[in-house]
Amino acid sequence: MNSKTGADGVIAGTGIVGCLIAEQMLDAGLSVVMLEAGPDIDRGRIVENYRNMPPSTKFLLPDGPFPPVPWALHPTAYTGNPEKDYLITTGPDAKAYQQTYVRYVGGSTWHWAGTLWRLTPEDMMIKSKFGRGRDWPFDYSVLEPYYTRAEDAIGAAGPSDPALQWPPIRSKPYMMEVFPYGSGQKRCAQAAESIGLRYIPCAQARNNKLAYQGRPPCSGNNNCQPVCPIAAKYDAYSSIPRIKAKGGAVLTNAVVYRVETDDKNHVQALHYYAPDKSSMRVTGKTFVLACNGIETPKVLLFSRNDKNPNGVANRSDQVGRNMMDTPKMFVLAQFKEPVWNGLGPMSPGAIMSTSQGEFRSQYAGGQILLVNLSGANTAGLNALKQKLVGRALDEAIRRETACGGVFSVEHEVLADAENRLTLSDNKDVLGLNKPAIHYDVGDYVRKGADLHTFPITEKLAKALGAEKVTRVPGFFPSQHIMGGAIMGNDATTSVVDPDCRAHDHSNLFLPGGAAMPSGAAGNSTLTMAALAIKAADAIVAQTKRG
Amino acid sequence: MGTARLALPSLGVTLLVAVGSASAFAADSDEIARGKYIATASDCEACHTRSGGKPLAGGLPLESPLGVIYSTNITPSRQYGIGTYSLQKFSNALRAGIRGDGAHLYPAMPYASYARLTDDDIKALYAYFMQQVQPVDEPAAKQTSLPFPYNMRFSMAFWNALFLDSKPFAPDPSQSAEWNRGKYLVDGAAHCGECHTPRGFFMQQKHSQEFGGAVIGSWYAPNITPDANSGIGALSADELFRYLKFGKVAGKAQAGGEMALAVQLSFSRLSDEDLHAMVSYLRSVPALPDPHAKSKFMQGGPFSDVTSFRGVGGMSYDRSLPGGAAQLFAANCAACHGIAARGSRDTYFPSLFHNSALAAGGGRNVIATILFGISRSPTDGLAFMPGFGGKTTDIADLSDEQVAQLANFLLQHYGDTRYSVTPNLVKQVRDGQSPAPVLMTLVTVGEWVGGTLLSVLVIWFVARHSSRTFARSQSS
Repeated sequence: MNSKTGADGVIAGTGIVGCLIAEQMLDAGLSVVMLEAGPDIDRGRIVENYRNMPPSTKFLLPDGPFPPVPWALHPTAYTGNPEKDYLITTGPDAKAYQQTYVRYVGGSTWHWAGTLWRLTPEDMMIKSKFGRGRDWPFDYSVLEPYYTRAEDAIGAAGPSDPALQWPPIRSKPYMMEVFPYGSGQKRCAQAAESIGLRYIPCAQARNNKLAYQGRPPCSGNNNCQPVCPIAAKYDAYSSIPRIKAKGGAVLTNAVVYRVETDDKNHVQALHYYAPDKSSMRVTGKTFVLACNGIETPKVLLFSRNDKNPNGVANRSDQVGRNMMDTPKMFVLAQFKEPVWNGLGPMSPGAIMSTSQGEFRSQYAGGQILLVNLSGANTAGLNALKQKLVGRALDEAIRRETACGGVFSVEHEVLADAENRLTLSDNKDVLGLNKPAIHYDVGDYVRKGADLHTFPITEKLAKALGAEKVTRVPGFFPSQHIMGGAIMGNDATTSVVDPDCRAHDHSNLFLPGGAAMPSGAAGNSTLTMAALAIKAADAIVAQTKRG
Repeated sequence: MGTARLALPSLGVTLLVAVGSASAFAADSDEIARGKYIATASDCEACHTRSGGKPLAGGLPLESPLGVIYSTNITPSRQYGIGTYSLQKFSNALRAGIRGDGAHLYPAMPYASYARLTDDDIKALYAYFMQQVQPVDEPAAKQTSLPFPYNMRFSMAFWNALFLDSKPFAPDPSQSAEWNRGKYLVDGAAHCGECHTPRGFFMQQKHSQEFGGAVIGSWYAPNITPDANSGIGALSADELFRYLKFGKVAGKAQAGGEMALAVQLSFSRLSDEDLHAMVSYLRSVPALPDPHAKSKFMQGGPFSDVTSFRGVGGMSYDRSLPGGAAQLFAANCAACHGIAARGSRDTYFPSLFHNSALAAGGGRNVIATILFGISRSPTDGLAFMPGFGGKTTDIADLSDEQVAQLANFLLQHYGDTRYSVTPNLVKQVRDGQSPAPVLMTLVTVGEWVGGTLLSVLVIWFVARHSSRTFARSQSS
């Protein structure tokens, strides 16, 4: 076994959570080694991969430009065949947990939309307020300063008008003003107003009119997913050169598979495989698994040993449980008049108020948004299917692009111990078990969609002039991976404490989506980033104490 | 601009104030405002403020192979700045290159140009520096400390005796007031020739080739004489005015490097009258044609080679691109400039063909732009292109070979096809080096054999020619 003396901080994962923690540790004068399972691929290659994709797959496969390396697979087009799929999902909503994430340097912020919703105070207290799900071990006022720091670390463009903020409880204004709506969003906001709802602009992790951290202002490529071609959208990849310049080491193709603990149950080292399966052991003072809700519990479960027979950090048996997302419903609309989606960022706004209310004791709320994606690609494919040519083809594409629309409704799912990640019997080339997840969105979500969000979405679509409204059956993943190493004050019912420190191991931190006790209906990344910074404060303090 | 208007109520008065004999009419606040305006026109801030530092407190590093030269604290701090300077000492520093303690300045300080400033403007500048600039009572973040023999400042006296013209500007009565004002600004405060005029053997400005274009550090400062092909003759007076005010002529030229800084900190803050005056004068200087030049605004055309590689290799995690230079362009440039390099319709992203940046100076500015990007904030908002040179704030890390490959693709299809560049040139541009002159070689050989004068000249040469933009990024 090869062994290296690592650093003050050994961090597995180079996504937003790992990078924020690494930079904070380096700024505090601590040394850092980052271990990334996948390769370091530059933006130009990813942009060209995207352009090389056949049009028929462009919208369907956000992971398309990120072909996985054999030693660090991530989910790709779902086949339902456990031999072929990396992420094996089962249960009533198996398809709805086919998450896409990227095991490359920079992680999944490569293909996030850049949406910066915060949780509301009530989102963090659904158990005590509504008797459902789980409460956070602290309230919004504790998280708020970390939200602010996360927004500043990322570079956030958001509304300065409190009436348009979500929630309007902020200690600091946004660094940049929010983007103006394009045509479709403007009309949707007017339609919402006409039915008594407020469509509000979403804070964005992209530069508006100024360059921040060397990244240019957004120029409206409408290409946030799967990759911003110019890095106007924050992605963790853009922080890697800074981390290296500050002395951080980034090891690529280093697949962490084991957390080693000693007889006091302190973590001694992380073990990783190189692509040729040679193994390396990295020691350090403080260890961080920043691999989000699927890979983090996977590594913990792999790491079972005599002292931790259920896996590391798993005395509570909650590792891998409570897997959450924001189950997505699609509603397709055909409008009488042109609406024109596709100018500017892809998710510029939403109705958020529909995620809040007393009904949460009965069923789920959700955020409702008109996807701001140019429909030209699907319109073109549909028109070609009709075998149109010449002017008729042009007109059909134009009509559908102008008059088509997709509403995306993302629901609050409850933490449920039965929604569980386990190690499957199928293995990858390194002999590591692929993750399996059982998933059921639950009656809470199904009822919420039927009774609450779909009727509102239908009303909104009609107010916007829809001739035809179609609810796509079933639910879809939103890529908001949460749960798996859930947070709480009680070590018997949760995996990590309020600083994302493992209850069972004082020098092991599991920050990010895995720790979130609830996710409400918003996108999870900003909350993950806030938890990363909160954890980093604790990590710096305890690592300096020695 | 309120300040400027206050100081420059009309062109006639402007001229009087600028070039007339000592005038006592200005009240103190007017004089200070005028001094501030001259300081803006002189772009003191660009060199005397380091990135993130206090205004005019110095400490900006100017990289050079002989060592780093740092700008000084020119705030009125009595201990660390120029607070103890009399008007005479102040004038000597600006116009004769002699520091308060009698030592010679390195001509990184453009005193040969500031020598044109009138007594009146020197007095106003003095009033502004002493009465309105906030003293910063701390030493510049770093001080220049060059090794022997480069530290012998006195030898500059010989150079001054040979090349320094110490006569302040005198108006030419046969020309218009506007022309005279323009010449005064161009030759004096704005010190255009320091970058745009080529240097002779002793690094003096070659007046026979005034404004004919020269390499300065990483960048090429182009020919700004009225020649229609190689200069600015094909641009209208209004286009030139807009260039100075906003930093670009849509689709034809844009300010990068130090010129971007000059537009941002200086020209965009001058009065429209003064900018018109500068344009008026520049359009009247002798044209210097490059005998081989084709119009630098008419080279290249829309071109795309995308069909040769699109889809080839599919989706891969191999970083190398099968389409070579054409795909390097697609991957890094096309999202903004377009797959055929037409730019955006609103011209925020310039077209690359018909663009003078790709048709002058041997392609040097193509390289510098790829490596360092563009950042310019004049009054009408930010113009920004990220760097691709691998600095911590850059969005890509292209190698010297890749930059050369990409630059040659750009020059071949969108620019002057006579030019081709090498990875070695990319490295020089990356390091901020001008081509080594004969003099430099002589000094290297003979520096211990009494080459003191030459040595100091080299320091000066290097300091003047180091890319301050590059130095800024190093310091940030």
